[in-house]
Amino acid sequence: MDNLYNAIFKGLAPVAKTSVQEALDAGKTPQEIIDDSMIPAMEAIGQEFEAGRVFVPNLLLSARAMKAALDILKPLMMAGQTTTLGTVVIGTVKGDLHDIGKNLVASMLEGRGFKVINLGTDVSKERFIESARENEADIICLSALLTTTMDYMKDIVDAVKASGLNVKVMVGGAPLTSEFAAGIGADGYSSNANEAVAVAKELLAV
Amino acid sequence: MTGKERIRCVLEHRQADRLAVDFGTTPVTGMHCKIVESLRHHYGLDEHPVYVHEPGQMLGYIEDDLAEALGTDTAGCFSPKNSIGVFNKDWKEYRMPWGQVVMLPAKMADSFTMKDGGLYTYPEGDNSLPPSGYMPERCYFFDSIERQQGEIDDDNLNVEDNLQEYGDIDDETLGYWKTVTDRAAKTGRAVVAGFGGMALGDVARIISPAIREPRGIRSVAEWYMSTVCRPDYIKELFDRITALAVKNLEKIHSVVGENVDVVYVCGADFGTQTSQFLSVDTLNDLYVPYYKRMNDWIHQNTTWKTFKHCCGAIYPLLDSLINAGFDIINPVQIAAKDMDPQRLKDEFGDRVTFWGGGVDTQKTLPFGTPAQVREEVLRLCDIFGKDGGFVFNTVHNIQANVPVENVVAMMDTLKEIRS
Repeated sequence: MDNLYNAIFKGLAPVAKTSVQEALDAGKTPQEIIDDSMIPAMEAIGQEFEAGRVFVPNLLLSARAMKAALDILKPLMMAGQTTTLGTVVIGTVKGDLHDIGKNLVASMLEGRGFKVINLGTDVSKERFIESARENEADIICLSALLTTTMDYMKDIVDAVKASGLNVKVMVGGAPLTSEFAAGIGADGYSSNANEAVAVAKELLAV
Repeated sequence: MTGKERIRCVLEHRQADRLAVDFGTTPVTGMHCKIVESLRHHYGLDEHPVYVHEPGQMLGYIEDDLAEALGTDTAGCFSPKNSIGVFNKDWKEYRMPWGQVVMLPAKMADSFTMKDGGLYTYPEGDNSLPPSGYMPERCYFFDSIERQQGEIDDDNLNVEDNLQEYGDIDDETLGYWKTVTDRAAKTGRAVVAGFGGMALGDVARIISPAIREPRGIRSVAEWYMSTVCRPDYIKELFDRITALAVKNLEKIHSVVGENVDVVYVCGADFGTQTSQFLSVDTLNDLYVPYYKRMNDWIHQNTTWKTFKHCCGAIYPLLDSLINAGFDIINPVQIAAKDMDPQRLKDEFGDRVTFWGGGVDTQKTLPFGTPAQVREEVLRLCDIFGKDGGFVFNTVHNIQANVPVENVVAMMDTLKEIRS
């Protein structure tokens, strides 16, 4: 595998930066670099995580290296000239400030080919809907760590349904279960960042 | 048996006269101030604003009358300063956003600022500094605000920066510990003390809400990444913390002696809901040697038992934590992956005391019925309580949204088991 793949897999951000530049200098397009090196590297580290051979810190390091490379490529990509698997609006729900898991999900989605709009933490239902409408989102991802904030997810799911938007809602966070997700009418649930990518792909059939 | 005798008995893995219970003696076995208020009302105790001794999680102080009503076997001794570095004194009434009037140190309450319906707190209650905590609207406690300045410069990382909050204990603090442990010992209950200064890699400390101008690695994600990419820095830091901790423990022991039964060592979480933050090998390499030094000193020089808090799916790590010398594991997060109570008891029950795990707090306690709470408490006490090695507590603190009837169902079930 190439240097960029290895840098992202091992989570070496400075090496990822130089490697992406080398790939550009060699004449590769940003889309080729993303498809040939970056997405496969994020897929591979995700599989290692699922298998229990690496842990959250490794995912954080790989996500950081991936973002460092993407930051170099983004200005070179003309709007509409790159392909994405879909657009995701993601945030931690109102009253909740926990964002490590949510940011990891955002990075894994971005690293695997989704366009991601990250709204941060303490996000109201109105902001989720407004952003989904503005960005023509395919999926809204909701995160909560607290038993005191997870109930607000139902308010958001209900508001999304009432809004008439054609968008799927995925939920995740430590105290959640698939039963809870089904109970509030969410379209998808995942218990970790790698699984979230698989669920998002399944929801959009991509 | 007195509470002290009962706790001592189960910590030695012998069956006590009845189930041992703890409520509120550590920052991880307590109750939100809203629950404490509800319980005071339920038991017909004097209704006055609850003292919040740990504002990060808004934990309410369980006074002696409530401790009596709950039948707790423990008495807690807390640090003189709260989680934002304000002394727990000069109390003042303050109305929280959900309408409850509580008691907070005036220096903290007077420094609050409000924005977008949320409350900001400041290190040492000094609002001329950037805020270090925030309670958003609809939230019931303060989360720490990360104040990491820019990217980490690996070439200039200095371990002194991450030692800002550690240092030699002073005479005034030693006097404080003597007074509070003497007082706690007089209750006849087992004394649980959180002296501080022993935490290794606890992200609640790393983020440093009490420090005026934090330096070093102070972001939670950066800390977790450092366990992979900066192991030498972490080992040097832990070595220094351990040396300081042992030096301070010698001084503390010389004034508190054997009045203390249990010492809270470290609250670093190594588990997520479904996995771990590190491998067994990394735990054994980075953490265990330093934990072992602290635990060995305690066991060789005192009669204290050592308490390790560690959330999440930590089944694969338990053997290492026990080998590191911990006597007690908390909170026993039974809803996490592979944390089956019977398997935990069967495989580790004769080597470690489970302090917690008495009822699930992610589903049963907040969202179940009183009947479901009762059934779960009976089942878990039956499993964990056999042959000692168990102190009843919920899995972590009881949160603000738990229906009081569920807490009462838990207390009534305990009374039934203990009668």
